[in-house]
Amino acid sequence: MSNRVVNVLAAASVAGMLFATFGLSAAGAADPAEQVKDRQQTMKKLGGGMGAVAKYVKNEGATAEDAAKGVATVLAVSKMDPKAIFPEGTAVGVADSAAKPELWKDWNDTQKRWAAVQPAATQLEAAIKGGDRAQIAQALGATSKTCGGCHEDFRVKKN
Amino acid sequence: MRRVLLRAALTLPLALAGGGASAADPAPPADAAARGAYIFQAAGCLGCHTDEKAGGAPLAGGRALVTPFGTFYTPNITPDPVNGIGRWTDADFVRAFREGKRPDGAALFPAFPYASYTRMTDRDLLDLKAFLATQPAVSAPNKPHDLTPPFSWRFLVPAWQWLYLTPGPVPDDPAKPPAWNRGRYLVDALGHCGECHTPRSVLGGMDGDRYLAGNPDGPDKDKVPNITSTKGKGIGDLSDGDLTLLLETGLTPDGDVVGGAMGEVVRNSTSKLTAADRAAIAAYLKTVPAKN
Repeated sequence: MSNRVVNVLAAASVAGMLFATFGLSAAGAADPAEQVKDRQQTMKKLGGGMGAVAKYVKNEGATAEDAAKGVATVLAVSKMDPKAIFPEGTAVGVADSAAKPELWKDWNDTQKRWAAVQPAATQLEAAIKGGDRAQIAQALGATSKTCGGCHEDFRVKKN
Repeated sequence: MRRVLLRAALTLPLALAGGGASAADPAPPADAAARGAYIFQAAGCLGCHTDEKAGGAPLAGGRALVTPFGTFYTPNITPDPVNGIGRWTDADFVRAFREGKRPDGAALFPAFPYASYTRMTDRDLLDLKAFLATQPAVSAPNKPHDLTPPFSWRFLVPAWQWLYLTPGPVPDDPAKPPAWNRGRYLVDALGHCGECHTPRSVLGGMDGDRYLAGNPDGPDKDKVPNITSTKGKGIGDLSDGDLTLLLETGLTPDGDVVGGAMGEVVRNSTSKLTAADRAAIAAYLKTVPAKN
């Protein structure tokens, strides 16, 4: 076999593998039910982070380190693109989605609300580093508020 | 008898002031409005009396309350003399909360949670009135309710009141610590928690046997959770810290943040209370008998 043929075959197989991995996963993520599940996992992660900080604030067994890890998770999620978490076509009715269609009505507003989480979480991170529990509690409250606004307006009540 | 006394108590200072003053009530004490601002938050007046979604002015009413009995539109409670409550006397105000009656004597629909507010003290009611009087007047007219008969028949409301309204206030239980009594007052009178968390009978009265046991058919057709001390289902598994943090920030023990109507309650009301009051609510709720 000539080198050229080998090269072409190699390129084709690499492309094939790339397609197999990314192409398929892209196709998987485009499944709305799958997207809803992904979102729920992301939100659970976010909740886990908030919960760790809360546990520290309540003085119920979490260490400052747990709280620091928790807020790092919150920050990481807050940096995600809301479009990826809330792709269109994943409103209530799709799998067990709890997202009201209103969420997509004014996307600019939704984006703005999502963007408010990060600065609040950054302040929470600073407060945790500072170590003052009262300040942490306050920053935690402010961060919860950025979550709660959307839950209030865009989330269908859970059972 | 109590009512007669109350009216006498409210009108006596007027009579004594005599001459110069017109038919106005005596000026409230200097700290009344400031105290009233706190009562206002604890009683959660703002949320229902403001059509926030439509950009309505604060306290100008118009918010739709969707219930199994029809849709109520909350009234304007700004000091506007025509559409608000600017002309109400102290006695009018107390009677609305205590007996569920309008100044003209007609019965108020119990969507205004007077079955709970009736437990408020006279002092808290008059302070609340003093605070409301300091708010900007808005002339927004009131919108008629959209109810399904027979629930739309106002003349039937007195019968409802006879069944379900026990005029307050409720005296403190001397056998219980002050924090428990304060907590009960915050939960039952000001916070009117049972209006959503206690299921209703077919006639729309709070079912006392299922006190705070959750409501499968709550406001806006939402399910409202059990907040009795039941393990597993109610709040029996929550620590005091869990409860006070939830009331302060909306955060649940698993890191979720409450939304829906409770999100609004946290935002407008419980987050604005003192830490001592939130602790009192927790202390009281933990003693509410478990119901499944």
